[in-house]
Amino acid sequence: MTDKNTYETDLSVKFGKISLKNPVISCSGTFAGGLQYSRFFDISKLGAVTTKSFSLKKKDGNPSPRIWETASGMLNSIGLQNEGIDFFISTQLEEIRNLGAEIILSIFGESAEEFKKIALKIKPVLKHLKAIELNYSCPNVKAGGMAFCGVPENIRTITSEIKSIIDIPLIAKLSPNFGPVTECAIQAKKGGADAVSVINTVTGTAFDIDTYKPRLANIVGGLSGPAIKPAALLQVYQLAKGKIIPIIGMGGIYSWQDAVEFLIAGAAAVGIGTVNFSQPDAGEKIIAGISEYLISKNINSINDIIGKAL
Amino acid sequence: MKLLNGEILANKKYGENLYKLEVFSPYICRNCLPGQFINIKCAYEGMLDPLLRRPFSIYEIDKKFNVFSVLYMVKGKGTDFMARLVKGGMLDFIGPLGIGFKADEEIKNYLLLGGGIGIAPLSLIAKELMETGKNIFFLAGFKDEAFFLWERDLIKIARNYKIFTENGSFGQKGIPSVYLKENMHLYKNYKLVVCGPKEMLKNIQGILRDFPGIVADALMEERMACGIGVCMGCIIKIKKSPGGFEYKKVCTDGPIFNLMEVIFD
Ligand SMILES: Cc1cc2nc3c(=O)[nH]c(=O)nc-3n(C[C@H](O)[C@H](O)[C@H](O)COP(=O)(O)OP(=O)(O)OC[C@H]3O[C@@H](n4cnc5c(N)ncnc54)[C@H](O)[C@@H]3O)c2cc1C
Ligand SMILES: Cc1cc2nc3c(=O)[nH]c(=O)nc-3n(C[C@H](O)[C@H](O)[C@H](O)COP(=O)(O)O)c2cc1C
Ligand code: FES
Repeated sequence: MTDKNTYETDLSVKFGKISLKNPVISCSGTFAGGLQYSRFFDISKLGAVTTKSFSLKKKDGNPSPRIWETASGMLNSIGLQNEGIDFFISTQLEEIRNLGAEIILSIFGESAEEFKKIALKIKPVLKHLKAIELNYSCPNVKAGGMAFCGVPENIRTITSEIKSIIDIPLIAKLSPNFGPVTECAIQAKKGGADAVSVINTVTGTAFDIDTYKPRLANIVGGLSGPAIKPAALLQVYQLAKGKIIPIIGMGGIYSWQDAVEFLIAGAAAVGIGTVNFSQPDAGEKIIAGISEYLISKNINSINDIIGKAL
Repeated sequence: MKLLNGEILANKKYGENLYKLEVFSPYICRNCLPGQFINIKCAYEGMLDPLLRRPFSIYEIDKKFNVFSVLYMVKGKGTDFMARLVKGGMLDFIGPLGIGFKADEEIKNYLLLGGGIGIAPLSLIAKELMETGKNIFFLAGFKDEAFFLWERDLIKIARNYKIFTENGSFGQKGIPSVYLKENMHLYKNYKLVVCGPKEMLKNIQGILRDFPGIVADALMEERMACGIGVCMGCIIKIKKSPGGFEYKKVCTDGPIFNLMEVIFD
């Protein structure tokens, strides 16, 4: 295993105003603040840690059952259970900083108003953050969430309003549930976003054929994991072809090969989500795998493979 | 809590769809408390189905030989994979997980009540209680004789027990919660520890409402994705005064909860 941050090839990436030591980022909601995962590997090795999406106030989330495994995938209807942005500011920020990891803070508002209130609250801690990810794509909440992607102009207005409050790179996280994400990405760009995260989960459901009941109390859930990889990859590829905005590609990445596939399809960086549940040291393994792949191909810099399939 | 690989020493059939998997792991044997569980990868390296790990309680710990075991029922894909594991192979698992069971110094008498595979974690708890000099009474209930061989393991731990089966094929015909309802007055100065199907736990909670002051621990089960407190998938409702509730994670806040505070929907 290679030592901390000393990969022989250059894995560093830069997109918009965001520079990362390598392109592997943990996805929001699948890594908490990284504390648990630091028991399995040195999480400062990641390009960045994306936090769970924080709302203005603590959110309880949806009733149980909240998860159901499907063929090579899982449905979740967590409903953004989180401790509220004050918890991030007072507690979690310090925890992640102590672990030495770069931080992307994910935030979620049910309305433009709520997003703005969160932006005001985080102003004093911006210096500790790499970027803010704006979650416009949660499928499990009654208000806001992926509905923002249903009306792409929302994305432009909210992003630009946040931009006027805080000066930090912004990433818009988009939903695949309204067809191609292109229009949303265009609006994110117009609103001043530096990048987009593509994709959030794909809506789905499952039923119990004995009881006739839904497997999730919320009925609707978000599908993640390898089952959605081809769909996510196509979204990334099509968007990258349009050269609209840098893309953090995610959806079903389970191995370094999957990560490379997203990179050649045009992603500037990749997010790893569900795999963390199955393989808690996946982040470290995927970074090492990409590095070894580049060495075996005699490629000096990761940037030489980004978009190769376009 | 570590990501571990342990050599499989045996995978014995214990009854219809019931198996005991024995694994060599000094780390688990040194660090695991009764009631804790491990999250087992039920697929070969690189296989993506089943995707998520499966949680299993620790059933036995042999500190002398550094071997622990898991007693499991074959239910679906994951446990079917486990049933095919053979001696000499490796088991990929994370553990120990959850908050373990600790005996209460003030309490001398314990009544353990297990339904079905719920007897697995209770067996290790029973052993711990016996070793700390507690008086225990073990009540177990099964559908049929699938758990027939389990009695051999139990005898080594406890002499004071009663086994019920619904069809009377092994032990007495009946169900343990009915026995409990009729005899609860005998156990007023016992602490209860229960594990089993939700319906059973709910019944017992109902019975205990007539005995204010009784303390009961319940080992809860919920579907899990991460097992380490990250995904928020495994929550249950716990009473919070006044009249409210809060969600608690079975994997890291539990799996042991105060039975009287659990809200069954
Ligand atoms: C803390 C904890 C400890 C457990 N200890 C044991 C044990 O010692 N022995 C044992 O046999 N089983 C135990 N279980 C249950 C065991 O995890 C499930 O039976 C197993 O995950 C089923 O997987 P499968 O792929 O075979 O079945 P699947 O095809 O996934 O499902 C088959 C059935 O199992 C149920 N199930 C699936 N996953 C879970 C889960 N995570 N929790 C509860 N039920 C589930 C489903 O509701 C379904 O009815 C425990 C569960 C928890 C949460
Ligand atoms: C349990 C769970 C919780 C999630 N929570 C969030 C969240 O809070 N905010 C968010 O933007 N995305 C959330 N996601 C979506 C992931 O960040 C990611 O976009 C998606 O799961 C696809 O990637 P994957 O297939 O690698 O998991 C969640 C996903 C899962 C499985
Ligand atoms: S299983 Fe993920 S929080 Fe409990």
